[in-house]
Amino acid sequence: MSLAFKQETFRDDYTFRNSPEAIRRFPFPFPEDQYMYSVNIEPHTAGPKGAVTEFTLDVDEHYVAECRDKAITLEQDPGRCASLPHMMDAEWDFLEFTMESLARDYPEQFSLSKNGKAWTWINRPLGIEQSFVFGDAATLPMGPFEYMGRQVQGDFVLLDQREDTLFADAGIVTSQADWSLAFNVGMSWNEWHGPVPQVTKLGVMDRALKFLMSLQQANPVRRLNWTMTINPRLDTSPENYPLWGGDRNKVNEQNAGELAHLRVELQTLFRMPRSNAIVFSIRCYLISMQEMATYPRWAKRFHRVLRDLHPDLVEYKGITKYQQAVVAWLSRFDDGADIGTGTQPE
Amino acid sequence: MERGYWIRSKPVYTALLWNDKATAHAVLAAGDGGLAVLKLFQQALPEQPITVFYSPAGADKDYLPALQAAVDADLRVFATTAELLAAWADYLATARMGLRIYTAGTEKFMWDVTDAAADFGILNQDVMKELTGSLARSVYCVHCKSLTHEVTSNIATCSGCGRQLFVRDHFSRRMGAYMGLMVDAENPGEVPQIEEIYP
Ligand code: HEM
Repeated sequence: MSLAFKQETFRDDYTFRNSPEAIRRFPFPFPEDQYMYSVNIEPHTAGPKGAVTEFTLDVDEHYVAECRDKAITLEQDPGRCASLPHMMDAEWDFLEFTMESLARDYPEQFSLSKNGKAWTWINRPLGIEQSFVFGDAATLPMGPFEYMGRQVQGDFVLLDQREDTLFADAGIVTSQADWSLAFNVGMSWNEWHGPVPQVTKLGVMDRALKFLMSLQQANPVRRLNWTMTINPRLDTSPENYPLWGGDRNKVNEQNAGELAHLRVELQTLFRMPRSNAIVFSIRCYLISMQEMATYPRWAKRFHRVLRDLHPDLVEYKGITKYQQAVVAWLSRFDDGADIGTGTQPE
Repeated sequence: MERGYWIRSKPVYTALLWNDKATAHAVLAAGDGGLAVLKLFQQALPEQPITVFYSPAGADKDYLPALQAAVDADLRVFATTAELLAAWADYLATARMGLRIYTAGTEKFMWDVTDAAADFGILNQDVMKELTGSLARSVYCVHCKSLTHEVTSNIATCSGCGRQLFVRDHFSRRMGAYMGLMVDAENPGEVPQIEEIYP
């Protein structure tokens, strides 16, 4: 995929659009006609060329615009980045991890040179060149976690492992599906997952936690999660719910193709070497129903998933008000034919 | 949501029980928490030293005479919970490993006690809690970040920004508060019936 960075917005006039290449590589999350929560964790191994999983961290055509949107959100609400005092080692681990993987996978855009502890970081798309001393926060314009968190698409949570569970003790969260970092920071696995319906009886969360507790440095993992968003808005935070909640009333059968977006999170988890923390990366991909329908197989699939979604998941994901409108809009693509399993577009 | 839906961040409070594997015991109660202390002292007492911190503030009944009669231990009484918490912080500074902590009272009081202990590395799970008196909640406004205390209804007016907040069951131990979310954000002016559900 070519890296021509688009100028676009994720608020106000919402000029965000996907190019045909971005649609083609969209991480469509439905291999079957039904969806229910499961322990859908797999190794984060390199995907095919051009796929969102080709590299450790995916940089795409929306990189510059997303970093700009993140900066706006952080300026309006600095509380979207928080880190408890004992997370400093994990912050440096995060900086090293992000700088090294970006410089390795996208050498034209990023470079990192090291002379002992004297490092120089160059981020060409954002026009940044920074020399600093690794381990000395005073040599950076802000904490190491926020510094690099602002230069990678998506949200990040740093997890501390103790008391047989994981604690969300740091985060930079500006493109979340309706959860609050300021409220959740310092919570344990069961607490922050508290509101998710159905999972207790499915046993999903207990098994997933057990798996993550033994995550190894050499074997990162990933999973996909999804919800829906009206307008291509990254910042669907509870903090700003008064700004976006009302958009749910605007959807009807005519405009659903444009307004309604499938929101997919590519979640990846990496064990850090020094702090033993886990970096949890939540990368959000948006696609409008119209864009999705350029591949009728996807439109058929999503029509069936959305139509038959468990009512608790409909409510939890905030889809109740416009579910019918979107299902109606999608129904024109669904002739009922068997489309087999798999997430491929064609 | 289907029956059985329950947010797991909402704490479960039980009845206080002595834990004998200890070097010392600290019991902290306020208001109607006095009754929980009386019940605790009806159980077989542990051998290790016991210190009781009690503030009658907010009690429906006067538990002090009964406490003074029943508590065969170091009983320290404070006029206000603020004074109690200050004394608790001083006590923690000199406490040794193996201290067991028991607390009873309102939810806010218990999490203030737990927070103070956390500053000394004591885990939340090592603080036993018994909710007494009132189910009143502290509510964190996710929009303006203010805390509103003593909330007894499903919907509360935020003390910071004046929004009408729906009180969720989602609880943050660090804040000792439940999440409040603007109830009429999607449909301005449509506020459901306000009911007293945390008396
Ligand atoms: C360890 C890093 C993780 C963090 C920090 C995290 C955090 C969160 C948060 C904050 C929510 C929103 C809860 C709310 O409504 O307030 C959520 C939802 C959820 N999480 Fe996680 N999570 C993590 C890993 C996982 C894993 C490995 C699984 C695997 C099963 C998982 C499954 C889910 C599910 C099913 C939902 C509901 C999503 C939806 O329907 O939109 N999480 N998670």
